[in-house]
This record gives sequence, C-alpha cells and structure tokens, in this order.
Amino acid sequence: MISNLSVLENIALIRQYHGRLSRRQAEDMAREYLQRLQVEDLAGRRNPSLREEERFCVMVLRAVMLEDSILVLDRPFEMMPALGESRFIYDIIHHVAEMHRECHIFDYFLNEGRYAEGSTHAA
Amino acid sequence: MINILESIGKKGLQSARSLRDVMSFTYMIFVRLFERRAYNSAVSMVLVNQIYFTAVQIPPLFFTAAVCLSIAFVGIIGEYLLRIGLFSFFGRLLMGFMVTEIAPFGTVLLIALRSSSAINAEIAVMKVNNELNTLAVFRIDIINYLFLPRVISGIISVVLLTCLFSLVVLASGLIYSGFFFNMSARDYMAALLESANFFDLIAMFIKSAVFGFFIVMIPIRYGIRATNELTSIPVSVLNGMVQVFIAIVIIEVLSLVITPMISKLI
Repeated sequence: MISNLSVLENIALIRQYHGRLSRRQAEDMAREYLQRLQVEDLAGRRNPSLREEERFCVMVLRAVMLEDSILVLDRPFEMMPALGESRFIYDIIHHVAEMHRECHIFDYFLNEGRYAEGSTHAA
Repeated sequence: MINILESIGKKGLQSARSLRDVMSFTYMIFVRLFERRAYNSAVSMVLVNQIYFTAVQIPPLFFTAAVCLSIAFVGIIGEYLLRIGLFSFFGRLLMGFMVTEIAPFGTVLLIALRSSSAINAEIAVMKVNNELNTLAVFRIDIINYLFLPRVISGIISVVLLTCLFSLVVLASGLIYSGFFFNMSARDYMAALLESANFFDLIAMFIKSAVFGFFIVMIPIRYGIRATNELTSIPVSVLNGMVQVFIAIVIIEVLSLVITPMISKLI
C-alpha cells in the first residue's frame, strides 16, 4: 500500500488512474465496497495503523478495482498468521465476487487443513 | 603511471555515464510534460498536494527570509552607491541585480533546502518499502503519477515564489529608500520603471523554471537509486542534495554567461 495515502485513496487510486474517474467518483466507489465489507471505518486510516485482517481486506479491494482482474492470493495465512481457518478469506472473496474474473489461492500443503471449504490450487 | 591513468579514465567514464543518465532522465521527464495522456485526476490530485506542500506551506519561513535578505542587500547596495556617488544607479541595481539574480537564487535555495530534501527522502522511502513496485503491479506509471506532478509543482512554485521574493525586494527598497535616502515613492517608482527591462524579466522567469525543474528532478532520480535497505535512504538524500546544489550553481553561472549574449543578439 502507498504509505502517504489513506485506505480510501489507496483503493480509489486504481479506478481514478485507469478508469479516468474523478476523485469523487472513484472515492464513492471505494467507499461503497468498504461498506460492503463492513469496514468503512478504515477509510481515513493509513497502512501502519491497520491490523493484519484489515490490511488484507484493503489489499483485496484494491486488487479487484482493476477491470477483469484475476485475484491471486499468495499464502494468505502468512499475512495473517493469527487466522485459524479460511472462512474469513472466503467471506471477503464472496463479497467482491462480481468484481473479479477468477480467484486463485496458492499455499503450502501443510496449510491444506485450514482450507475447510471451497476449492483451492495448492502448490 | 598506468594505474593513475586507469583511475582517471575510470572516474571520467563514471562521470560521463552519470551525466548521460541525468540527461536521458531529464529528456524523458521533459517529453512527458507535454504528453496529454500523462494527465488524469489522480495526477492532478498529486499536483495540487505538491503545490500545497511546496508553495503554500512555505510562506511564513519564506517571507521572513526574503524580508531579512532584501533589507540587508538593499541597505548595503544603497549605502555603498551613496558613498561612491552613484546613487542614480540604485533602481538599475534593484531591478538588474536584486530582482533578476538574487530573487531566483534566494528562492531556489530556500525551496531546495525544504522541498528537495523531502522529495528525495519520500521517493527513497517508497523505493525501500516496495511502493514503487506496487504501483508498477497496478500498471500505474510512476513517471506520470509520482514524478511529473512533483516536477510541475517545482516549476510553478519556484516561479511564483520568485515573484513574491521580487515584490518583497521592491517593497523593502521602497521603505528603505524612503527612510534612509529621503527618496519619495514617486522617484523610487520612476527609477524602477526606467531600469525595468522586459528581457531581464523573461530571463528571470525562464531561469526560475529551469531551477524548479532541476531541484525536483535530481532528488527524484537519487531517490529511485536507493537500494532496498533502510540505510540507503540517508545516503540517497545526501548525494541528491549535493547534486542539487551543484546544479543550482551551474545553472546560475550558465545564466550569467548566456543571458548577456542573448541580450546583445536581441
């Protein structure tokens, strides 16, 4: 994440830059998706003040802001070591399902047990 | 002997490569300045923020420094001219020396001290934190998004603040000449108008714009040359700032050489 931008600006930047949207339009869109994940209170915060799960939400939202994006989650449990199982990750992906074309999760076989539901490509 | 020649050759090659890199980077940034597709609302947002940080936040410090420098210089120049019986050149010295030489030079020194170092550190920190890679992953052109707005804000800020500095110089001259040389405001204005040269003013604006371009472009270049280690940040800022001050001196000297030549041709 860009450290001198807030969460809202980090997410909005992608559409603002590629979609040629105005700042207000891009931020409204970003705010709507933050609300969808029920993390709208993060909007004004910056990267260092986020918890691991919050940072994960923001990074997923930022990734799906690219049109026709393929979401690749590379060892998500390394980013959130305290997370017990994958329900949280699937919930996030489910909430933004219509915004990305495909989603792939790559992880070690030793973490296979943590992915109790859904299909994964373990590597 | 051969070792000495080798070391001279190595240094020479290093300097030539470094100069070539600077020139190619300068050319790349300069060309982008005129590309319409480089601009969008994200770039405008950064530009507005940069102008705010560079030109709007600085005035209290800048104004104080400009007033102190102006009063000191105007006082010294006026006293000296009076002593040698050449006070009729007071207006010419104010316009030709203080406004066209000292104002851009003082402005660029103040902005370089405050903003160039900040820009250098900011870009180096972004490099260390992999933020430049993040932007590249999202296909955000770092030249358009990060560098261009900073360079434009540098040009705008230096030109505008040079004008402010010039106004402070002229106001100081008015007050000083009224109090210490018993010169009326009308005489003062007449002396200034008589000495005002349109070409000098254009040269001042061009020089300010060139200063603005380089005091931002050089720190950016040194910022992106930082490695991925935290310890490379101070090294990058140190090298960048040294190069900025060398560039300021070179531009000042070149302007002193080139401006009279062009003036004669015109």
